[in-house]
Amino acid sequence: MRILAYLAKRLVFVIPQLLGIVLVSFLLVKSIPGDPAVLMLGPTATKEAIAALRQQLGLDQPLYIQFLIYVRNLMHGDLGTSWQTTRPVLDDLYQRFPATIELVTFSLLLAIIVGVTLGVLAARNPRGWIARVSDIYGLSAGALPDFWFALVLIFVFYTVLGWAPAPLGRLDVTIIPPSPMTGALTIDTLLAGDWQGFHSACAHLVLPVLTLGLVNAGPILKMTQSTMEKMLESDFSRYEVLCGVPQNLVVRHALRNALPSVVTIISVLYGFLIGGAVLVEIVFAWGGAGQYAVQGVLNADIYPVLGFVLFSAIFSLVVYIVVDLIYFLLDPRISN
Amino acid sequence: MNSKLGLLIRLALIRPRFTIGYLIVASVLLVAILAPIIAPYSPTEADSQNFLQPPSAAHLFGTDNVGMDIFSRAIYAPRIDLTIAILGTLLSSVIGSSIGAVVGFYGSGRGIRVWLSFAIMRAADVLQAFPIFVFAIALVASLGQSIQTVVLAIAFVNAPIYLRLMRSQVLSIRSMRYVEASQVNGLSDTRTIIRHVIPNAMAPVLAQLSINIGWGIVLTAALSFVGAGVRAPTPEWGSMIAMGFQNVVTGQWWPSMIPGAMLAITVFGFSLVGASIEFLVDPSKRRELLSQARERRGHAGVPMEDA
Amino acid sequence: MDAVETMNKARSAPADTGKTPLIDIRNLRVTFPSGGAAPKTVLKGIDLAVKSGEIVGLVGESGAGKTTLARSILGVPPGPGRIAGGEVHFEGRQILSLSEAEFRRLRGRRLSVVVPNPRAELNPLLRTGDQIASMAKIHLGVNGKEARRLALQMLRDVQIPDPERRMDAYPHELSGGMAQRVVIAMALICNPAFVISDDATSGLDVTVQAQILALLTKLVAEQGSAMLFITRDVGITAHFCDRIAVLFSGEIVELAPREALFLEPAHPYTLMLLASFSHSPRLRDSWSVPDTSRRRELAAGCQYADRCPIAQPVCRERRPPFAENGPGHFARCHFPVRHG
Repeated sequence: MRILAYLAKRLVFVIPQLLGIVLVSFLLVKSIPGDPAVLMLGPTATKEAIAALRQQLGLDQPLYIQFLIYVRNLMHGDLGTSWQTTRPVLDDLYQRFPATIELVTFSLLLAIIVGVTLGVLAARNPRGWIARVSDIYGLSAGALPDFWFALVLIFVFYTVLGWAPAPLGRLDVTIIPPSPMTGALTIDTLLAGDWQGFHSACAHLVLPVLTLGLVNAGPILKMTQSTMEKMLESDFSRYEVLCGVPQNLVVRHALRNALPSVVTIISVLYGFLIGGAVLVEIVFAWGGAGQYAVQGVLNADIYPVLGFVLFSAIFSLVVYIVVDLIYFLLDPRISN
Repeated sequence: MNSKLGLLIRLALIRPRFTIGYLIVASVLLVAILAPIIAPYSPTEADSQNFLQPPSAAHLFGTDNVGMDIFSRAIYAPRIDLTIAILGTLLSSVIGSSIGAVVGFYGSGRGIRVWLSFAIMRAADVLQAFPIFVFAIALVASLGQSIQTVVLAIAFVNAPIYLRLMRSQVLSIRSMRYVEASQVNGLSDTRTIIRHVIPNAMAPVLAQLSINIGWGIVLTAALSFVGAGVRAPTPEWGSMIAMGFQNVVTGQWWPSMIPGAMLAITVFGFSLVGASIEFLVDPSKRRELLSQARERRGHAGVPMEDA
Repeated sequence: MDAVETMNKARSAPADTGKTPLIDIRNLRVTFPSGGAAPKTVLKGIDLAVKSGEIVGLVGESGAGKTTLARSILGVPPGPGRIAGGEVHFEGRQILSLSEAEFRRLRGRRLSVVVPNPRAELNPLLRTGDQIASMAKIHLGVNGKEARRLALQMLRDVQIPDPERRMDAYPHELSGGMAQRVVIAMALICNPAFVISDDATSGLDVTVQAQILALLTKLVAEQGSAMLFITRDVGITAHFCDRIAVLFSGEIVELAPREALFLEPAHPYTLMLLASFSHSPRLRDSWSVPDTSRRRELAAGCQYADRCPIAQPVCRERRPPFAENGPGHFARCHFPVRHG
């Protein structure tokens, strides 16, 4: 019951925030110089043709009317049309958003494995060598520009060693993509029983996932380490030690108590990476949603940008709500 | 302030990595300043005969795909990158922390000021809910692509961080006795903020500054990498990486790898400096470090009382 | 205090079995690192022995080093403190030199501690029944079902109302008194030979305090365990301790059988303590307000010299010996108070 009340309260705050986000991005992208009508028709178009197209697109209306029209269409599930792909933005996003989510999810899993493991080991022995390595790793991972690190990996594992496939998309060109079910190629190929496709999809994921996973393990590592240190120094951990509880069990209990903070930073990263993976998407020609939005910005193509911002905001929101539900499960003090 | 400087030097000696951080930052600054003297070639002129030359005695870091000398460009680049990042970060800290100070100071109580504070905080929420990079590109695109707009974009996306930081600092300081006392003594709000609140809240803001300069450099380079920031042939690390991007796949690593490595090392240096300032401003961290250092020296010199 | 009285009757006379004590703390020294200077010595060579079945009281004001002592005996000094020297002999072994794994098996099994403020000490995310049962599982090697049965039995023994339901309660759902009973259950479930009660009843209201004390001492007596009873309240110790030690600034300044301590205190500090327990507000004030401004660490001399009303120059120069003034009655004072 409390969960439902909480969800209702959450949604009340969320809708104005979503509207705010859409409004700001609308104004922002609208103020980008460049007339889509001109860009669509090319330099040879006549003035009349341009004016006609502007009218057709609603570009001759005042800004606030344009915004209201956009919001009204939004209610009907119409996110507008991209003039670059000449397709509805919703269709484009259905195709690209899963690509980004697949990439980001696998990267985050790697980051969690690396960050939580190192963080726990470092906190267990704050003066040991793992703690020192973790300190340096935390600092340098934050300093690595991911797009450059991606290039380093490509150079080493594709150009020199030849172990990785060419950084051109999500599948080998010779492989026919499976019919989209979830949009995540690793899952779709499995569902289709296409082992070769599955293998290719995984191989293409390795380098981008390594890039994003290793760069973003830093914050998870720092948070795990500092929270675990705090938990291991807390009264209840010390009491467990006084009671002769074996160290492994003390650490396991402390990790459970540290989990809410770790889950929080993971959820923040998840939301951030949807847009933050864009440079890596570009380097690997991933065809993801972030890349789509950046192309939109660079070409005054407003609707893809708005659609992307909206999608990623909603995605973050869902993640945060799931996280709050996890808190309910983790901590008896909240749930009753 | 003098004793703080002394402490900083002591910390740097205890943790060699802090010394490394200061050395990196100092040498990057030095190289940037001395670039016109050190650089053997012009950073913007191409020698179209000698394109994609590997590193050699004539071209220390080789040449790029239009024949520009990478060494000269790479040491000119921090002039642009550092200037943008430092200006953007300073601007964001000034804007963010002054709004944050005011919001923190008036955020509790009643009346129109509280509503205004609330509105500002929700606006910050909206800004932070944006995908940062897309937001920055959109800002640069809408304001017109130039160095100034990249500075503005950096200032804008970082401002909420300082806003929150300063607000929470002010909130905790505000409740302390001496601020209340000065209000009772009849100091105006503005003077209370300037005299008591800001000086005390400055320390964590300073630590954040150094870390954010690092981020600022990465963001500048990233914007240039997608073509939304500094444009070639202006020497800038991100656009240099972008120019050499395709060559990496075919085996010419130097046009991308070298500026990227310099970028990464510089950012690493700034985050080390930031970490050292964190130690300086956090007494508990500082105490731990100093006592660790003593332990490593051993207890030899420590006098023990007799039982 | 009726409960305490009945319990006292239930207890057999102090068992004075064998010559070797159950636990023998010798010259235990604990230091804390401090900012820039030399580490601060918090325990300055504690000597204390407890025979099996005996209850020894340890009285001291806050900051005297009571908790540090309790935890150091278990080899886990609080905070950044470390054991700088000394030995603890327990059941024939010098336990401070045991490996961590061996020592770990003693804690909670043969040596256990009852902590104060137990709601912060219990893991907030685990059910109390599981926390108690895990002690049995870890130390007695019993399976989960048997451990839960023992835990439930233990909750009955500590007289928690509605024990079946409390098994599934989380620590935040317990009252302070109930949490204290849970911690006692955890300390006693493995039937330890030696129990340290570290200010276990502070923060509870007076009636609950009396009940808990009665319960603790009764259970300890039934199990035949020895106990070190640490408290700030010298009055409590009068009810059931066989001997009482007075801790001041990291030193035991007086150690005496119960009657001797209350009737013939030798150290001026003990005298002050007992006075503060009396009903004279003037005397009580002089005890209860810790005079921290004048409390400095003396390298040599008596720790109490700065506060002592009868201090002489020699008190600041030479550390007084821990001299025997009567049978089993020791005091660390150059000028012990003479009685009679």
